[in-house]
Amino acid sequence: MNKKILTLMLVLVFVLTACGGAAPEDGESASTTAPESSEPVTLRMWVHTNNAFIAGYEPIIAAYEAEHTNVDIQLENFDYELYLQTLQTAMPAGEEADILQLFGTWTAQYYERLAPVPAEVMTVEDAQKTFYAAPIGGYIVKGVLYGMPQEFNMEYGGVLVNKTKFEAAGLTYPPQWKTMDDVVADALKLVEKDQSGMMTTAGFHFTAADPTWASFLAGIKQRGGEYWNADQTGFTFNTPEARAQLQWSLDAVTAGVVDPVVFNDSTNFVIDAFFQGMVGIGYIGSWAIAEGQANFPDFKDEWEYIYLPSIQGDPVFVADSGWGLTVSPNSKNQDVAWDFVKFITTDKANATQWNIASGTIPAMPSVAESAEIAAAEPWVPKALGILPFGQYMGSMPDRDLVMYEIIYPHILNCLQGVETLDQALEAIETEANSTFE
Amino acid sequence: MNLAASRNRKSKGGLATSKRRFVTGVTLPMLLYESIGLFVLGWAFVLMFFDYSPGRIGGSILGLGGSNPFVGLGHFVEMIKGTSVQANLFRISLRNTLIFAVVILPLNLAITLPLAWLLESIGRRFRALYRTIYFLPVLTSSVGVALIWMSMYNPQSGWINAVIRAFGGTPLAWLSDPRAGFANVSVAMWAVILAYLWQDYGYNMVIFIAALQGIPQELREAALIDGANPWQAFLKISIPLIRPTILFVCVMTMLSSFQVFDIIQVMTNGDPGNQTQVLMLDIYKSAFRYQNMGWAAAESFVLFLIVMSVTVFQMRILRTDWQY
Repeated sequence: MNKKILTLMLVLVFVLTACGGAAPEDGESASTTAPESSEPVTLRMWVHTNNAFIAGYEPIIAAYEAEHTNVDIQLENFDYELYLQTLQTAMPAGEEADILQLFGTWTAQYYERLAPVPAEVMTVEDAQKTFYAAPIGGYIVKGVLYGMPQEFNMEYGGVLVNKTKFEAAGLTYPPQWKTMDDVVADALKLVEKDQSGMMTTAGFHFTAADPTWASFLAGIKQRGGEYWNADQTGFTFNTPEARAQLQWSLDAVTAGVVDPVVFNDSTNFVIDAFFQGMVGIGYIGSWAIAEGQANFPDFKDEWEYIYLPSIQGDPVFVADSGWGLTVSPNSKNQDVAWDFVKFITTDKANATQWNIASGTIPAMPSVAESAEIAAAEPWVPKALGILPFGQYMGSMPDRDLVMYEIIYPHILNCLQGVETLDQALEAIETEANSTFE
Repeated sequence: MNLAASRNRKSKGGLATSKRRFVTGVTLPMLLYESIGLFVLGWAFVLMFFDYSPGRIGGSILGLGGSNPFVGLGHFVEMIKGTSVQANLFRISLRNTLIFAVVILPLNLAITLPLAWLLESIGRRFRALYRTIYFLPVLTSSVGVALIWMSMYNPQSGWINAVIRAFGGTPLAWLSDPRAGFANVSVAMWAVILAYLWQDYGYNMVIFIAALQGIPQELREAALIDGANPWQAFLKISIPLIRPTILFVCVMTMLSSFQVFDIIQVMTNGDPGNQTQVLMLDIYKSAFRYQNMGWAAAESFVLFLIVMSVTVFQMRILRTDWQY
């Protein structure tokens, strides 16, 4: 029986080998011969479906094609989940597009299947000078640069504030928060409940997934702690700083600023709830602004996007690398692809245009500090004071697994009263470290 | 050889050629289609012995080996006694899947069989109307059904809580309260089960109606003449006679319950606290969100074994050797 199974497996492997797609060998790359200027070049570019992002890409592609009349860039977009699946099936088969939009933190998972940025396009040192530390961090794996970021993905610190509710509650507006205790004090006055005691308006909704892990990791850092071990080969979540940060969140819930059973990631998600008038202060990244405005055009309340004070000390925080562009090693026109990537990501005018269209925080300080960005995205100048404190969260085997299946569920369980604080921290540490095995 | 014999032979030869062409034309595409299916199954079978992620290049043969190492039965050992987050999620998902399937089957039968019997016994005009009404949810997409039930379960604006409030009760966060439960099953799981039952029961009901209509009327009439009441006739005559149909319904319902995915993904995505995380959802997340294709293939194999075992078991205990 065992022989039969082994034979079957061998036959299958043989057949699959015959049918399989080609992957570049180590050190081998596809042709990078620069085409003649008149030689037609077609580049395929894959991005995830986000109308604001696509609206940002299209005019820049058109501008590049106008400058390089022999180049045709075909933009193809996929729904987020489908995009992940498409990458996973196309890359092993060597069928992916020439230019791939990737989330920076994914680069650590895909770098074996990506082309390194040629030194003549940009060196690691140049990239570190050009971009903020947090966005570029994810594109550097083992000292090699694999792409260029387009946005500073900042989940930490920003909140949507409902001005109408503040004024109705008799609170000072704009809020003069010096500490997080001030935030909690205001939030308590914004809470509303129905006759049965169910919370209908959350004072401070900080219990969605992204704000939960972002504030947890930032809180550890701001309290002087660290969640990485010395050589970044494991996590240390069961620490006094992590305990203090989780205790702070638990105290805020106990005080009554939010009911985490009714307001979390799956029920009354912060964007939906805020733009339906069910949240006073909603903790979420600035990317939510464009989405909220697009999905809830009839929302009448006045609102603003502002930044929270740190829990203590400097507003140190960690961030993902955000969306950016990479190039396939299977591309036959890597030089043109890199030229376009540089054109769209590092040219100040193009980067500004794309960030404004997509409503994202720029990855380059020179763009973030520009007058055009200040005029179009008034929340960006408010963030300029804390952006330099942003650190890359660090490359881990599976960032999504750690954030969404380990840290968030256990913290939420703790806040909902299903796990104790000790149980939650111990589980986070054990499970997060198991991702390295 | 005379002309007639020659014509006859030519004609037979032509027919044989036509038959051969027809058989070849039909069989080849079918074999091709089957070989694709076998290829997929074979690939999944091979993957479960590797720690394979499509993000890694791995070895020279289809990316197997190297950074996608061979782990043998390692995934299965990890599922049984591992402490990793994947192993914990697998065990939770397995438990939830078993709860889901074990609860769904008797509830489904308890609703569909009596309902089919009732519908079978009313007038023909109303029977068609009610049958259509009950069958409508089956035709609705699972996503649509999930969205409808989500709005009904909404803790603030859903009408279920509105009714509870109207009667002075305490409203509940049906899909997100991990503390609430009944009979050791979370309230979120009950909420999902109810929505799934509502969507699914029309299908089995129609099958039962067809089976009940197939029972010779004389058998029931004889029972009634012999003094049985309608309920006794249903229990003693109808149910035994539709046992093959009950077997079919049990197997199909169990199969679909073990493979439930879309309605749960939309309604809870496994929340709260993984209390509604079922195996299919876990397989999907492992494969496509976390790129652990090897692990997902091993989970799929376990699901296959469970489904096959349950099906064989059901076929053994509900098998009948007679027909009417």
